[in-house]
Amino acid sequence: MAEEKPTGTVLVVGAGISGIKAAIELAESGYKVILTDESPQMGGILAKLDYQFPTDHCGMCRMLPLVGREYASQYCMRKSLFHENIEILPFTGIDSVQGNGGNYRVDLRKRARFIDPAICNELGKCIDVCPVEVEDEFNHGLTRRKAVYQAVPHNNPRMLLIDKQACTRCGECLKVCPTGAINLDAQDEVETREVHAVILASGVQLYNTRDFEDARSYAVSPDVVTSLAFERVLSSSGTYQGGAIRRPSDARPAKKIAWIQCMGSRNRRQHRDYCSSICCMFALKEAVLAKQKGGPEVEATIFYMDMRTFGKGFQQYRDKAVEEHGVKLIRCRVQGVMLKPDGSLMMRYHDPETNEFFEKDFDLVVLSTGQIPFEAHRRWADLLKAPLDERGLLATEQPGMVRVAGKPGLFLCGSLTGLTDISEAIISGIAAAGEAAKFLTALGVDTVKKEDIPEPASKARELPLVAVALCRCGEKTGAAGLDYELFRAELTRYPSVGAVQVIDSICKADGEAALLDSLAKTACNRLLIGACQPFIYRRKLKDVARKAGFNSAMVEIFDLFGVARRGMAEPSAADWTLRAAGEIKADIHSLKYKPALQVNTLPINQTALVIGGGIGGMTAALSLADRGVPVHLVEKEGHLGGYLGTRVEHTIDGLAPVALAADLRQKVLAHKHITVHLNCEVEKSLGTLGRFESQLRFKNNGENKYLHHGAMIIATGGREGATTEYGYGTSEKVLTQAELKRGLTDGNVDVSEVENVVMIQCAGSRQKEGRRYCSRICCLGAIGNALEIKEKNPDARVFILYRDVMTYGFYEQYYTKARAAGIIFVNYSPDAKPRVEMAEGRPVVKFTDPVLKEEMELPADLLVLSTGVDPGESNQGLADALNLSLTEDGFLAEADSKWRPIEFQKVGIYLAGTAHSPMPLKNVLLQAEAAAQKAYTYLSGRELPTAAVTSMVKDALCARCRRCVNICPYGARSYNEADKCIDIDAAACQACGLCAVECQNNAAEVRGWGDKQLMAAIDAKLMDRPLASAG
Amino acid sequence: MAEYAKLSFQKGGLNKELAAFFRGLLENGAVDGVLVPMAQNHKWVRLTLVTSASHTAGVDPFAPVAAVSGAKIASSLTSRPSGRTIAMVLRPCEIRAVVELAKLKQVNLDDVLLIGMDCLGRYENTDFVKFQEQGGTSEAFLENALAGKTSGPDFDIVGACKICEFPTAANADLSLCAIGGGNGAVFIEALTEKGGQTLEKSGMKPSEAPAGRNEAVKKLAAARLEARDKKFAEFRAEVNSFEALADKLAGCVNCYNCRVACPVCYCKECVFITDTFRHTGEQFMMWAEQSGMLKMPTDTMFYHLTRLTHMSLFCVGCGQCTSACPNGLDLMPLFRTCAEKTQARFDYQAGRSLEEEQPMAGFATDELIEVTGQVK
Repeated sequence: MAEEKPTGTVLVVGAGISGIKAAIELAESGYKVILTDESPQMGGILAKLDYQFPTDHCGMCRMLPLVGREYASQYCMRKSLFHENIEILPFTGIDSVQGNGGNYRVDLRKRARFIDPAICNELGKCIDVCPVEVEDEFNHGLTRRKAVYQAVPHNNPRMLLIDKQACTRCGECLKVCPTGAINLDAQDEVETREVHAVILASGVQLYNTRDFEDARSYAVSPDVVTSLAFERVLSSSGTYQGGAIRRPSDARPAKKIAWIQCMGSRNRRQHRDYCSSICCMFALKEAVLAKQKGGPEVEATIFYMDMRTFGKGFQQYRDKAVEEHGVKLIRCRVQGVMLKPDGSLMMRYHDPETNEFFEKDFDLVVLSTGQIPFEAHRRWADLLKAPLDERGLLATEQPGMVRVAGKPGLFLCGSLTGLTDISEAIISGIAAAGEAAKFLTALGVDTVKKEDIPEPASKARELPLVAVALCRCGEKTGAAGLDYELFRAELTRYPSVGAVQVIDSICKADGEAALLDSLAKTACNRLLIGACQPFIYRRKLKDVARKAGFNSAMVEIFDLFGVARRGMAEPSAADWTLRAAGEIKADIHSLKYKPALQVNTLPINQTALVIGGGIGGMTAALSLADRGVPVHLVEKEGHLGGYLGTRVEHTIDGLAPVALAADLRQKVLAHKHITVHLNCEVEKSLGTLGRFESQLRFKNNGENKYLHHGAMIIATGGREGATTEYGYGTSEKVLTQAELKRGLTDGNVDVSEVENVVMIQCAGSRQKEGRRYCSRICCLGAIGNALEIKEKNPDARVFILYRDVMTYGFYEQYYTKARAAGIIFVNYSPDAKPRVEMAEGRPVVKFTDPVLKEEMELPADLLVLSTGVDPGESNQGLADALNLSLTEDGFLAEADSKWRPIEFQKVGIYLAGTAHSPMPLKNVLLQAEAAAQKAYTYLSGRELPTAAVTSMVKDALCARCRRCVNICPYGARSYNEADKCIDIDAAACQACGLCAVECQNNAAEVRGWGDKQLMAAIDAKLMDRPLASAG
Repeated sequence: MAEYAKLSFQKGGLNKELAAFFRGLLENGAVDGVLVPMAQNHKWVRLTLVTSASHTAGVDPFAPVAAVSGAKIASSLTSRPSGRTIAMVLRPCEIRAVVELAKLKQVNLDDVLLIGMDCLGRYENTDFVKFQEQGGTSEAFLENALAGKTSGPDFDIVGACKICEFPTAANADLSLCAIGGGNGAVFIEALTEKGGQTLEKSGMKPSEAPAGRNEAVKKLAAARLEARDKKFAEFRAEVNSFEALADKLAGCVNCYNCRVACPVCYCKECVFITDTFRHTGEQFMMWAEQSGMLKMPTDTMFYHLTRLTHMSLFCVGCGQCTSACPNGLDLMPLFRTCAEKTQARFDYQAGRSLEEEQPMAGFATDELIEVTGQVK
C-alpha cells in the first residue's frame, strides 16, 4: 500500500494583492494555504483605494478565479476573501521560521483582538458606548474612530476589535455586549504550524511625513497630505461627500491642488537612491479623479522630475490626463511648502516651459510618497537567516526574481521585489505561486483530497415541499432577540413548507448531527437553511444536506442574520422576526421553482502549446514540463533563443540573456515532455480551455500539422524599433542603441578614439505618429551603453538627450551611476526635438539647452538613437488565428491591464513577455512563470468543472439575431455558421446574465435564474406580510 | 446620388405604366422576382411575389392599404435566403422596419433590390374595401391626398399615417415618387448605385428632378410633424399615470395580435406563450387574495409593458398594432410616445441607417451611468 502523502501546505505572509493572488493560485491548484497579515484587515494598500488607473474604477474582484466558480466564493474582494483551501489569519505576525527546504516550522502570533469574532453579532453596540476617540489610521487621521472599531469600513464580516493602546478599560462595552464576545484580558496566542513552503508578500514600509527629516519643509499643514491619504479624501468611506474635494483643515473646497513627486524617493543624501515606480501613475490618476470629483474648476498641477510612464498604456493615460482632463505637468523639484497665515499653501517653482519663476498659492498639496524597502528586507533576513544583497535587499537567485537565494521553498512577491503596481503585484504573486507549486511537485506532496459524497437524485419533478432549517447560532441570534417560535409558527402556515426546524450551531458537529437527524425524518424534497455567513459555510452545509439525501441543487442557504439586520436601525425582537419572515418567503418561492442544476465536467487535454521559442517561451515551457505537463513549443525561426537570447550578452541589471538562452535551449531540447516545432507558425486555433486544436504551418515546405492541447501561452516577443528620424540611414555614424550594443560586443564599433557621443532617446516613441508608447527598456539600454563607452574610453564625452529618464525602481541606481561617471543628461521637450545635420561627414546635433535656453551645437562622432520596441510582426496574424484582439499599438490586448494582465477574455490562453508590451528581461521571466502557472492550474486536473450556473440557449426559441453574441463580455457566445446556432463556451461563461437580459424571448437564459423563479421571488416580496397584518 | 426617370401616364394608366416597369425588370434579368402590392381578383390588394413577366398586370403599389407589414414578408423571404435576386416594393415604414430587421439578422439584404415609394397614408383593411366599393382607385387617392384630402365618407387614413413624418423612402435603392411630380407623372428615383444601374438597365431615360418635389415633401413632413407633436402631447396628458395606462389597456384580451402584426417583434415564439406564463391555480388564488380580486386574463399590462421594453427602441411607428387589435385599443400612440423617448436617449432612430449600431447591442463598461448607478 502506498504511503499516504501529506497535503502540500504553503504559508503566504501578507494579504495584499500579491499575497492574495498567490494564495488563490495555490488554492486553485489544490494546495492548502495559510494566509496571514500583520494588520487586522486584508487587501493591503488596496483596501484604501476606491479607484484604480486606468479604468478609474475598482476591479479587485477580477483577480478571482473564473473557472470552477462553484467552489470559490465570488464576493467583493474589498470586503473579504473566501476560499475553502485558504485559511485566513488577519492580525497575525510571524515570530520565527525554523527548518529548511520543504519543511518549515513557523510560529504564528495571533494578536489579541479582545472581541471573539465567532461570538460577536457585529451589531456594534460596543462602538456606540465606547468613550475613547482616536485618529482612524484607515483614513490617515482624517477621521476619528473609537477604541472599539472596525478596521476597514467595507469589511464583511465586520471583524470588530479593540485597540489596546487606546482602550481605557472603562468596561462600558462589556455592559452592552449582548453575546459576551468581549474579553479585555485576552492575550496573544502563539501557534506553531508546519508548512512546505513560504511566500513572503508582506510588502514594504511606506514613506511617511512624520518619521522622516526630509519631509519637514513640506508637511507644514494638515492640508499637505500623502498620496495614500488623498485616496481617503476622494473616497466616500473617507471624507468625500460629493460635490467638492474638501481640505482636511477646515473642510473648505480645495480648488487648487498640487502634487509633488518623488517625496522621499530618488534621494541619495537620505540613502534612498531608488524610484518608487508607481507614484507617477498614481499622481496622474489622482489628478484626473480630482478633476472629476471636484468639478471642472479644480486646477490639478503635478510637479515632477521625470514623468515615468513606462508601462503598458501609461503614456496614453498621461496624454489623456493632460489633453482631455487638463492636468498640468511642471518639471520642477519644489523645495518646500510655505504655510501662509490664511491657511493657503505657497510654493515657489520654476516653469521650464516659460523659463519663469512663480510663487503660487494652493489649497491642498499631495506628497507622492513611495517605499522605504530596506527595513522590511532586513527584518526578514534576520528572521530567516537569509543573506541581503549589496543593495540591502533579500538576495534572490536571479535579481528581481522570486526565489530567495539559498532557501529552497522560500519565495518573494509583491513589493518585496521592488514597489509594484497592481499588474506587477499580480504577476509576481502568480509567479511565486508557480514557483511554490513547482517546488511542491518536486517534493512529492499531495493536493487536497475532497470528500466524495455521492449526489442524491434531485426529485425536481416532485411537487415542491420545502424543509426550513434555522440555525440558532449559539447565543448570537438568540441573544439578539429573534423570536424563533413566532418565526416557526409563521413559516409552518406557509403553503409548500413541509417542516421548520430550529437547530443550534449547524456549523458545529452537534448541530450538524441534529440537522442530519431531522432531515432524515422529513418527507420534504427541497431545503432552505438559514444560518450566518453563508459565503463561508455554503460548501459545508451543502455537504451536510447531501449526506441527508438532498441534491445540492435543491438546497439554498440564506444569511438569516444579515437578512434580519439589514437596514434596521434599532432592531427589536418583533422587527427582526418580521423582517426575516418577509425575506425568507422570497427564498422559499424561488427555491420551489429551482431547477435541478448539475455541475458538469469537461475533459482536459493535459498538454500545453507555447508559441515563441525565446527566453520567455522556453521558460514557460520548462516550468510546465518540469511539472510533468507535455508541451509543444512552436518557433517561427529555425532556432530557439528569440531576440535577446541570440543578440544580447549582458543586461545592465546583471542578467546574461545569451547564456541564459543557451542553458534553457539545452534543457528544452533534452526534456522528455517538450516537443519543439521549428520554422512554423500557428495558422488557426479553434476550441476552448481544455480542448484546443491548432494548425501549424511550416514555412519551408508549406506543410500543416495539427496539435491538440488544453491551454496555450503566447510568448512571441517583439521587434527592434525602426526610425527614419535624425539622419538614420544616411551615415554609418548614426546607429541605433541595439546596433551600438552589438558593435560594442563584437568589436565592430570602436570607441577608443571618439570624443563626443550623442544619444537621443524616444526616437519615434511617445509621440502621436509612430510609437505612442514608451518602450521601457531604452533608457536603461542607453545608460548601459554609455557606461560601457565610458569604461572603454573615459575621455569620451557622452550626452544623453532625453524626455523623461525611465529608470524606475532600483534601476535608478544606474542613472545615478551614469551621472557620477560624467555622462551628461540633457532634457528636451517633444515640441523642440533635437535636429541633426551632417557636416564634414559627421552628424551635428542641435538642441536647446533647457537651463540656458540657448541653442547648442554638438558635433558627434557617434549619434545613437533609442528606437524602442515595435510589436511583433506576427501579432496580427496570431490575433486573427486565435480570435484575440490587439491594442491600438499592435500588442496583444490582455483581459484587464491591472487585474488579469497575462490572461485574455478567452480562458485558456495566456500571455508572456514582449507580446504583451515592451519590458525588461526580468519581467519577461516573471510573466513566463506566471503564465505557466495559470495554465498549470487547469492542466493539472483531468477534468474541468464547469459552473452549474451558466447561460444556455433554448434553440427552438432562438431567432439567431446574435445580439447575445455581441453583448457577452467574456466572449463565451459565438454563432456557429455551420450549424446555424448559438454556441456557448461553458467554461468561459460567468453567468453575468447580460445575454438573458438582451434576449427578448428568453431563448438565452441563465440556469437557475429563470423568469419563473425570479417572478415568484418578486411576487413573494410584493406580498403583504401576514405577520404585520396579524399585528 | 439623385437620378430620376419620368414615368408619364394617361388618366387611369398609372398601374399599367408601373407594370411595364416591373415587367422590364423581370424580362431584362435585373431581378428574379418582384414583391409588389397587387390586386387579387380585383378586390384585395396584397403583397405578391411575381416571378413571371407575364403576371405583372395587376400591380398596384400606391394602393392605400398595407394588410401585413411588408417587412415581415421580407423576413420570410430572406432570413433563410434563396440566393435569387428579389425587388421589393415597400412603403417607407416597411423599409425602416426592414432596416431594423436586417440589423437583427432577420432580413438578409444581400440579394434584395429595395424599391420604396412616397406614402400618403393607408386605410384600415376594411376601410380599403369600402374605398374600393365606392370606386376608389390609387390614382384618385394620390391626386386627392396630394391636394390634402384623404378622407372618405366615413373613414380616413389610419392614425399612424396622419402623424407620420416620413412620407418618402430612405435606405432604398429606388423610389417611386408621386409627390411633386405633377399630374400624369410619377418619377423613379435612384438612391444608390445599385438603383442607378437598375434604372439604366431598364432603358428608361434619365430626366430632370421633379421640380416641386423637395418643397412639397418638406411641407408635408412639416404638417405631419406638427400633427405628431400635437398627438403626443394629447396622449401624454391623457395617459399620465399608471392607473390611466391600466385604463387604456383594460380591454386587452391577450390575443397577441399586435405582436403578430408588429414588424419588428421578431421572436420566433413570444415569451408570453411559453411556460413562464402558464401559472398554477394556486398562483392565481394567491394573486386574487392579495387584493380580493383579479382581472382575467392576467398579465395584460405586463405584456404591453414587456413589448414596450423590448420593441420601443426599434419601433418605426407603422401603426400595425392598432390596426390589428380586435378590441379597438389604439396602441400606436403608446408605442410612439415611448419610442420617441427611448430612441432619443440613445440618439437613435429606428430605420434611419443600416450602419448605426442598435442601442444596447454590445457590451460597454461605461453606459448610462446615471441609470446603472455605476459610481465613478
